[in-house]
Amino acid sequence: MADADTVKSLNGLLNGIAQKIYYNKSEITEDLLKNELYPDLSPEEFHALHEKMKSLVKSIASADMDQAQLEAFLTAQTRKQGGSGGVSAEQAAALSRFWKSHRARIRESLVGQSRWEPGLRGLSWRVDVQTASSRGEPSGNAVALVELELGRQGEDSDFVCLEFDEVKVNQVLKKMAEIQESIDSIVNKS
Amino acid sequence: MASGYGKAGGAVGDNVTFLCGGVLPEVEIMSKYLKELDKEQFRSILKAVVNTIEGKDCCEAMNAIVESGIVTEEKLSHIIAGMFGLLKEALRLPKSSLKHEVFQEDLRALRISEECITDFSSVVFGNRRMVLETVGTQQVTQLPSIKDFTWRVDVAISTSSISRALQPSILTQIQLSDDTRHCFEIPVSKFQELRYNVALILKEMNDLEKKNILKIQD
Repeated sequence: MADADTVKSLNGLLNGIAQKIYYNKSEITEDLLKNELYPDLSPEEFHALHEKMKSLVKSIASADMDQAQLEAFLTAQTRKQGGSGGVSAEQAAALSRFWKSHRARIRESLVGQSRWEPGLRGLSWRVDVQTASSRGEPSGNAVALVELELGRQGEDSDFVCLEFDEVKVNQVLKKMAEIQESIDSIVNKS
Repeated sequence: MASGYGKAGGAVGDNVTFLCGGVLPEVEIMSKYLKELDKEQFRSILKAVVNTIEGKDCCEAMNAIVESGIVTEEKLSHIIAGMFGLLKEALRLPKSSLKHEVFQEDLRALRISEECITDFSSVVFGNRRMVLETVGTQQVTQLPSIKDFTWRVDVAISTSSISRALQPSILTQIQLSDDTRHCFEIPVSKFQELRYNVALILKEMNDLEKKNILKIQD
């Protein structure tokens, strides 16, 4: 019975699973999902459904399936229906919709899980002109003050403050052009 | 009296103009003790003080002066402090805004002898000025800058979380002028943001230089 409520509950469940596994929302628990979405199901029934959906989402996500792969995967799963672990047509449709809207974000989260160096989170900057100083004659040239926000996943940020004159900014910009070239050469080949 | 920098102040230095906010107490005390020195003694102390400002080690020179017993250690301390304070204030002002005559007049007002004034002037207005200014600029309070910037582009092929990652990422290491190193990863999306902002900074800096109104004039 594919009524609107079933579809809504299913979407909610898939979203909840994604929040819990990939978006680090630990406040979303299996119990919460059951109470909110499937209050009428017995705990065993809900647990089976939850596990099934979780394992399907994990399979789809870890293979980072494209549309064609997903279609083939879901078709194979639908055919299994009747046996254990098969999916209904409406579940397949819900999974397909879910994956379309979450693929990029889930991929980002999965790639991030294998990042161990602190990453660049943000940057803020300011350009100043020095007008006076306690020693020596101020140059009057523009100075860029840059603050880099760095941090590992799940940890607080560290801030690194730097000062640049125009020459240094130019040097960094040139390096970045080299990096871009290097990335482009990889991306275009594949 | 020449037109003024700062307010005049102090018993002796009512007319002193280049020392901002009045005569420094150590300069005033020094001016009294200078009279007890002959020309050579004065020069050897001044030379040691100038060397110190340039960042050179002058322990030996100072020890030699103390051992020679020209003045008591206490007086010597006052003289050194005064010379240091005087030169620091004079070198702080841009060359264009401190007139040679004003400087000399100010020292005369402190009843410093002509010979000493000539020597002070040669430090502040002579060939040494360039060296001292360079040292001064290096000592200016500033944030660390980048000394070295190295990078590597990695493409993760497969990870424990995702079987086909194939996602380029940039690993960078920056070495700063305070000799610390920071190693961090830049996701490609952040890299675009960073590059855009660095280009924007450069543009702002270029624009700023075109604006004459912001050129600091004395």
